[in-house]
Amino acid sequence: MSRQANRGTESKKMSSELFTLTYGALVTQLCKDYENDEDVNKQLDKMGYNIGVRLIEDFLARSNVGRCHDFRETADVIAKVAFKMYLGITPSITNWSPAGDEFSLILENNPLVDFVELPDNHSSLIYSNLLCGVLRGALEMVQMAVEARFVQDTLKGDGVTEIRMRFIRRIEDNLPAGEE
Amino acid sequence: MAVCVAVIAKENYPLYIRSIPTENELKFHYMVHTSLDVVDEKISAMGKALVDQRELYLGLLYPTEDYKVYPSHQLCRYGYVTNSKVKFVMVVDSSNTALRDNEIRSMFRKLHNSYTDVMCNPFYNPGDRIHSRAFDSMVTSMMIQVC
Repeated sequence: MSRQANRGTESKKMSSELFTLTYGALVTQLCKDYENDEDVNKQLDKMGYNIGVRLIEDFLARSNVGRCHDFRETADVIAKVAFKMYLGITPSITNWSPAGDEFSLILENNPLVDFVELPDNHSSLIYSNLLCGVLRGALEMVQMAVEARFVQDTLKGDGVTEIRMRFIRRIEDNLPAGEE
Repeated sequence: MAVCVAVIAKENYPLYIRSIPTENELKFHYMVHTSLDVVDEKISAMGKALVDQRELYLGLLYPTEDYKVYPSHQLCRYGYVTNSKVKFVMVVDSSNTALRDNEIRSMFRKLHNSYTDVMCNPFYNPGDRIHSRAFDSMVTSMMIQVC
């Protein structure tokens, strides 16, 4: 959300309405371009992925966080630093699986969905699926294969928005020679 | 309080209209329809002044007493017009409680804010009829059953 020119640790303010409406325009355009909601969901995820793989560089440069030692630490960084920096919200982390490889991000309010009401003919649309793609793309660039999906959505009548994150594996192959 | 709430587009077709005694819906539609002339009159009469003061509230359009179904109720119609010439018309039952101008004004402001939220919904195409749950429930909260 901040411009290239004044990149710093502080984030630049922008109108949240502009941001929300821009995202809304994007999603509705996709709905017009694709026949069914599944294709739109897939496309949003793909776009998010492409954002994520770029955004992680920006994130690492600005946040000065070091390497995470376990998935719990990663979860903390995502919720407390990344979401705060880019969306201005701090989701809470709950529902850890016993093995520690799955957790939920609970978003009390999702800035992407201000004003939005899903029409009845788009009941299977995952409106904010872009976020899942961003998380997946960003973590992939730091050698973590994860799966992210929405399990609750305020747009569908749930009380909160919940993103379920599952750690799949470490990506060893992409490590450049000589590191670690 | 309000017994009928209508949102009228710039081109004078209804975007939203709801009245509480549903069996007399048509009667209310007529009432709203006839008050549009008064709205137009008011706008053209004090158009310049309205624009200058950014005053959207048009005030009392006119009272109706010949409301046959509930003869004991006095109904008043109030109007409000946004800068984009979208009109809000409200029929208010003022027989038991005399509503003050200020309250009507704040009801219109609430309606306007809610309408703005509807417009901001990316799935809503401007000019379509309004089918929004949030808007519906806001209107319901402004209405109470007559009798």
